[in-house]
Amino acid sequence: MSSVEIIQIWVAAFFTLAIFSFLYKDNPFYKLAEHIFAGLSAGYYVGLIWKAVIIQQLWDPMLAGSWWLVIPGILGVLMFARLWPRISWVSRIALAFVMGNTAGIFLITQLHGIVLPQMQATMLALGGTAGFASALLAIIVVVGVISTLIYFYFSKEHTGVLGVTARVGIWFIMVSFGAHFGYTVMARISLLIGRVYFLADLWLPSFSQLF
Amino acid sequence: MNFWDKLGALDRRWIYLLVALSVIFPLIVPMSFKISITPEARQLFEAVDALPDSSVVMLTFDYYPSTVAETEPMATAALHHLFRKDCKVVTMTTIPLGGPSMAERVTRTIAREYNKDYGVDFVNLGYKANWVAVLKGMGNSIEAIYPADNSGAPLSELPLMATVKNYDDVSFIFVVADNDIVQNWVSIVNAQYGTPMGAGVTAVGAPKYYAFVGSGQLTGLLGGMKGAAEYELLADARGLAEKGMGMQSLAHLVIILMVIVGNIAFFAGRWSQKGKVR
Amino acid sequence: MRTIVPVIVAFLAGFVMIVSFFFNPERTLLGRIESEVLVWVTIVGGFTLLLGVVSITRVNWQAVRTMKEGWGYNLLTLLSIFVMAIPAMLPASWSQLFGDAEGSIYDWLFFHVDYPMMATMFAMLAFYIASAAYRAFRARNPESTLLLVTATLVMLWRIPMGEAFLIQVGDTLLFGYNLPESINTYIMNGANLAVQRGILIGAALGAASMSLRIMLGIERTYMGKG
Repeated sequence: MSSVEIIQIWVAAFFTLAIFSFLYKDNPFYKLAEHIFAGLSAGYYVGLIWKAVIIQQLWDPMLAGSWWLVIPGILGVLMFARLWPRISWVSRIALAFVMGNTAGIFLITQLHGIVLPQMQATMLALGGTAGFASALLAIIVVVGVISTLIYFYFSKEHTGVLGVTARVGIWFIMVSFGAHFGYTVMARISLLIGRVYFLADLWLPSFSQLF
Repeated sequence: MNFWDKLGALDRRWIYLLVALSVIFPLIVPMSFKISITPEARQLFEAVDALPDSSVVMLTFDYYPSTVAETEPMATAALHHLFRKDCKVVTMTTIPLGGPSMAERVTRTIAREYNKDYGVDFVNLGYKANWVAVLKGMGNSIEAIYPADNSGAPLSELPLMATVKNYDDVSFIFVVADNDIVQNWVSIVNAQYGTPMGAGVTAVGAPKYYAFVGSGQLTGLLGGMKGAAEYELLADARGLAEKGMGMQSLAHLVIILMVIVGNIAFFAGRWSQKGKVR
Repeated sequence: MRTIVPVIVAFLAGFVMIVSFFFNPERTLLGRIESEVLVWVTIVGGFTLLLGVVSITRVNWQAVRTMKEGWGYNLLTLLSIFVMAIPAMLPASWSQLFGDAEGSIYDWLFFHVDYPMMATMFAMLAFYIASAAYRAFRARNPESTLLLVTATLVMLWRIPMGEAFLIQVGDTLLFGYNLPESINTYIMNGANLAVQRGILIGAALGAASMSLRIMLGIERTYMGKG
């Protein structure tokens, strides 16, 4: 390892261990790391937006003749009016523009892209040549989807047939949430493995080069 | 406080220590296991493998640095697979914090191994704000949304982008993500433009996307570090994910044991309390 | 005026998107308008990110100016913002340290300070989830027992060691039944898929109705007060 690489690894290891130190208790090293993290993350955004939006999407295209882009530029600047309560109403136009646009896209894509395909996929055949296992799976899916939707329907009291179906829905939901929990445990452990690997594979071997 | 109550109220730092030891132990005593392949991972691999060589594939780096342990092995294995097949790769990200930097570094590092040329074999589009507009806008024109690539080179100057105008010119989209952007890729891009896509996601999000695999909207799914290990195995690009399975195994067993012990402590404590009351 | 104009803008911005779904963007003027509107939205969206940065700068500057307790840390945050942002905004042609390419201050600070910290913050969740599993995950009733059993089966299934154990259990106790395959088929692709599909459909219907409410001006909470 070169001396630059060793410095890089030691800097990364210092901040890694500073964050981990919070597991014992809050301490100045953790506070130091936390505040630097907040600052660097905010600074990253500035560098990114400067390049990706202000230079690439506004400055360069306007210089090349797309002068009308000054309009979204002004709308973007108007967003900052939110920081001053007396003139925060000025930012509403920019906000409304973005929100309305997103709402328009979502209105179509949520229905066309999620509701309809998912409903279509639930209309499963019980018969056919796929066999008993496939038929059982189809029943599980259809009953599960319907009972889950009914469980989350709170406009009517869950009594009678609705109540029984909602109860079935709870059982299905418990199985799904159990699966979720199992996967979540896996996710969190994986993230820890990543950091332990860094410390064990890169940081610890650097000791032999230093001492 | 009796023994069971004390056991149930164990200082959390002992639990932290147990978890830490369960992850560190396999480093000292290496463990390797045979990794089985799930049908969903195989489906994704086969979909990519079936693409004609020189197909254009969009690979998305839609993950934060916080989840690299799960997602970066997926992106890395995917790149090895794609470059080995001589596919043209267009990378992009909807993650403002670190996405463009990670996409740049990972892609260029792996491209060097295969002597791939930037602008001809791969391009990094970088980041643009408001992912809904970005995903929708690329359906009309990628160049309208990304006038330049991540390093500032105009798209018109990149040979690869002369043939990739919008999703019609993309054969497959490989989404690597740690958030709900997968749902937007499916509902906005796959549903509207018909571009086939597969996803590699963190284990937290994986259970949700089985519904999209079941409906055919996603061609395959990788879930968490195990999913990454499966793809590494299939693509013959062994890396961190496969190595991490030993640590994952022991940690899971420790947590299962803790759940069992916690429940024993809870119920035993309650029974002994009931006994005292009688 | 302060409310009516934004409501009209929201409606028009959404209406263009909806109507353009039904027209070929390459052949119609509406398609070209749609394209331009989407570019404008990405530009305005970029400024939204900067809003957060300005806000954090203000809060920390206020703490430093009034010498609030722990103001040294706030000063550190401010310095970190400037040390990261300013070199990134300077032209790379002036020095390799400027800009955002590999070798720049921006790139170095991201990969060797910010990135490790972000990864570590989430790695700590492993300890918290273990602690939560030990202290709170109780089989108090049939429903929570089912949740617990399913979670245990899935945790075993996802690790090679556990999968081998489940295969052994199937071979010895269940006449060769493939337990791991059943978990994938009937739990993940069965019950879990069904529930997630139900939640997806419900959430998508909710999102679609909320979108309609925003476009029609019924939902105005995004505008804030004033």
